Amino acid sequence: MAGGIQRLWRKLAWPWSPASDREASEAIVRNLWLHWFPAKVSGRSLSWSYSLWLGTAAASLFVILTVTGVMLMFFYVPSTERAYGSIKDLEYAVSFGRLLRNQHRWAAEGMVALAFMHMARVFFTGAYRGSRALNWLVGVALLLGTLMLSFTGYLLPWDQLAYWAITVGTNIASQAPLVGPTARYILLGGHFVGQQTLLRFYVLHVFFLPAVVWILVAYHMWRVRKDGGLAAIEPLRALRRAEPREMPRTKSYSLFGLTPGTSVAVASSMGLEESDQVASSPNLTRRMMLVFLTVFNLTLLLSLFINAPLEGPANPSVTPNPAKAPWYFVWLQELVSWTTVHLGSITISGGLLGGILVPGILLAALILWPFLDRSTDAEGVWFAPERKRQNAVFVVITAVIIILIVVGAWLRGPYWHLYWPWSPRPVLPRVL
Amino acid sequence: MDTDRRRLLRWLGKGSVFAAFVAQIGAAARAFFPNVLYEPPTTFKLKQPAFYPQGYTFDAEHRLFVIRAEARFHVISAVCTHLGCTVQWRGTEFDCPCHGSRFDANGNVISGPAPRPLPWFEISIAPDGLLEVDSASAVPEGSSLTVATEKT
Amino acid sequence: MAERRDQSLERQDFAWLVLMSLIFFGLVAIGLWREYATAWRPWQREFKLVLAHAGRFQDARKFQPGIRQIWNPELGVVDRCVSCHLGYEWGGILPAALRQPLTPHPNLSFMNRHPFDRFGCTPCHAGQGWATNAHAAHYGGGGWEEPMLSRRLAAGCGVSEAELLQMRCNFCHRRDRSTQGMDAINLAKTLIKKKKCLICHSVEGQGGHSAPDLTYEGDKDPEQFDFSHIAGARTVFNWHVEHFIAAGKVSPKTAMPDYDMPPDQARALALLMLSWRHINYPPQYIPQPQSAPQTAATPAASSNH
Repeated sequence: MAGGIQRLWRKLAWPWSPASDREASEAIVRNLWLHWFPAKVSGRSLSWSYSLWLGTAAASLFVILTVTGVMLMFFYVPSTERAYGSIKDLEYAVSFGRLLRNQHRWAAEGMVALAFMHMARVFFTGAYRGSRALNWLVGVALLLGTLMLSFTGYLLPWDQLAYWAITVGTNIASQAPLVGPTARYILLGGHFVGQQTLLRFYVLHVFFLPAVVWILVAYHMWRVRKDGGLAAIEPLRALRRAEPREMPRTKSYSLFGLTPGTSVAVASSMGLEESDQVASSPNLTRRMMLVFLTVFNLTLLLSLFINAPLEGPANPSVTPNPAKAPWYFVWLQELVSWTTVHLGSITISGGLLGGILVPGILLAALILWPFLDRSTDAEGVWFAPERKRQNAVFVVITAVIIILIVVGAWLRGPYWHLYWPWSPRPVLPRVL
Repeated sequence: MDTDRRRLLRWLGKGSVFAAFVAQIGAAARAFFPNVLYEPPTTFKLKQPAFYPQGYTFDAEHRLFVIRAEARFHVISAVCTHLGCTVQWRGTEFDCPCHGSRFDANGNVISGPAPRPLPWFEISIAPDGLLEVDSASAVPEGSSLTVATEKT
Repeated sequence: MAERRDQSLERQDFAWLVLMSLIFFGLVAIGLWREYATAWRPWQREFKLVLAHAGRFQDARKFQPGIRQIWNPELGVVDRCVSCHLGYEWGGILPAALRQPLTPHPNLSFMNRHPFDRFGCTPCHAGQGWATNAHAAHYGGGGWEEPMLSRRLAAGCGVSEAELLQMRCNFCHRRDRSTQGMDAINLAKTLIKKKKCLICHSVEGQGGHSAPDLTYEGDKDPEQFDFSHIAGARTVFNWHVEHFIAAGKVSPKTAMPDYDMPPDQARALALLMLSWRHINYPPQYIPQPQSAPQTAATPAASSNH
């Protein structure tokens, strides 16, 4: 009985089941979608406990975001007069419109979180060195792209939160030395957040940034193959390397013709025994499907029961009290609120120090880290003892950011005063 | 000789394609700097001086405060110098809802992240008798415009 | 070895895949059910029965379920209230005692000059016209600053619902000297004259300039008021009420005298203050200024509509 169900399931889920490893490998080469994957993959890189599949989960969210985003484009009007109304229509009058918007919103916030967690995983497993340094840089670019997508998407509903978050955000940009004011002017298409700003952010959000991120995602995944798979295999590889043997040398097709060296297919299985590996199809594809389905279910569950927030329509003459950035930027808002320093007669604005210098230093550290990292071993292992100090630095910075997020998101009340969660906050006056 | 000419022509050809390409990119980039703005001008008119009562009057449209003491007027910006939120007049001081900056009655920073005091704008009387503000030029704190108003 | 790992991976993932697929199906089913089980559907079903019960079989047959809205781009009105408040224009046919939300709109004397298709619902009643569920429509929520002017809200202000609504009538009727049916506002307008407010204050370019201009007093953000000397509710309405009674107590430095007026007069004036807002209604909606008082109700004045 169970076997029967299993056979039926196989029939439903797969067009055929490969009879041999060779057939499975060929399936990957023949299929465009499967071409990202190597024919064979080590058992260890498939394990849940090593990678936690965070990158796959983030990519799944990006797929969801692209599909729901394209759907939303059919209903959204990027005009200051109609943007807010079109969101209200999505919420109340379009069939499944609210679900669509909720999914887009929660998938977006989830992608920021997962992209960061994925980066933390790569850091803690030391999987960013040697040839993987390039992919680390691509990953940093993807994290930035994700944040920029969130930032541009934030303006589109044209509600109070959108208007003031972008006003504050672009004012931070204008604090940058020399180019700041020009950057703000070109970003806003003027001196104030207005119709030009909405249109610019819209085009960035629905075309330019997604295109860049998609290209980088494709490269990021291909690069994993090029680097021989996840770093999880490195300890195993070192073990195998102890037994000396000849590396096969083949010709490889590059963009401009034949190049000598080892091909991607060879590199991916380089130094591993046949017995260390399993066929990617169906082992890798099945697990990816499971991850995608789980992530999709989670966003759907959130979207069914928690609504994406929407404030009152944008009003340039009234700043909401307090005006808060979304949680993934609120640590910066918290930072800029007390990083103004006075050195004698010179005053450095918090916007420059906390809004540009601190994140700039963090970004520079992320970019340079693979090249400053001196640890020689311990690749592909969680919390390797040799990397204790590096990991401690990462943990401390992350903890500080999380604390700032908690303070900014939950402990700040009207006029940005501190309130304990249990202490009463002043009730803001109303009209009636 | 022939090869020299060919080399020159090839160099010219490559060079002009490159230059044209760069110019095109520059031209495309230039389009993103608006030449006209659908924004209120930085010099604008308020109402007649007599319109403003004693004390602080908030002008939500222009985001500024008109402050009148007898016949003396000055205008303080309501845009926080930190990151651009609108400050509120709370009887004795200006408070910013975004990051908690506080300014005294003259716009000087009391506490919070604001790096500079709220600017005082230059004001004048336009030929038609209306109060005119130039929000692009700040004047030092304490400067004011004395208007002979007979109607109060 | 490889074969064994294949099988162990399959064993690990198979059950989870099936489970996730079932959860996926379940969640989509919930989503579909949610989309079907809207707040308005039961009311529409009941209304169909009500129509049949009243003998309007033709109308009952024609009645199609769905979101209904009054759309008037001139006023910027999108009012989906009528998705549930279905009986609104059936006053002559359906019993007035029908329960809410199916109750017909009371056939008040001015209703024939304020037809539903031209005025919608929210210009008079406020609330969130976009919404298709009762809570969002009546209370707004999430930064929506114009809750429906309900009986509860009126009671909180110490006025009747009809008096509270007059505040919004005055958006268009602010230049009428007095308007039939707007007793509270009419009282406030006479008080403005009697107390000689315009000696100090100015309204629409008239009056003195030693006190703040009141032309758009109703647009002022609640946070622009100082509530530190307010004893009662922290609302702009109550600020005005207490300020009209004892201005010196509410703003100690003010030059405005303590009028010590009866609360109903103060409340009427507070309504008038809140009605003075910058409203962008097209000119054909604004009644012509009258040459003499008490002509607002004549057909001549209203033919401009």
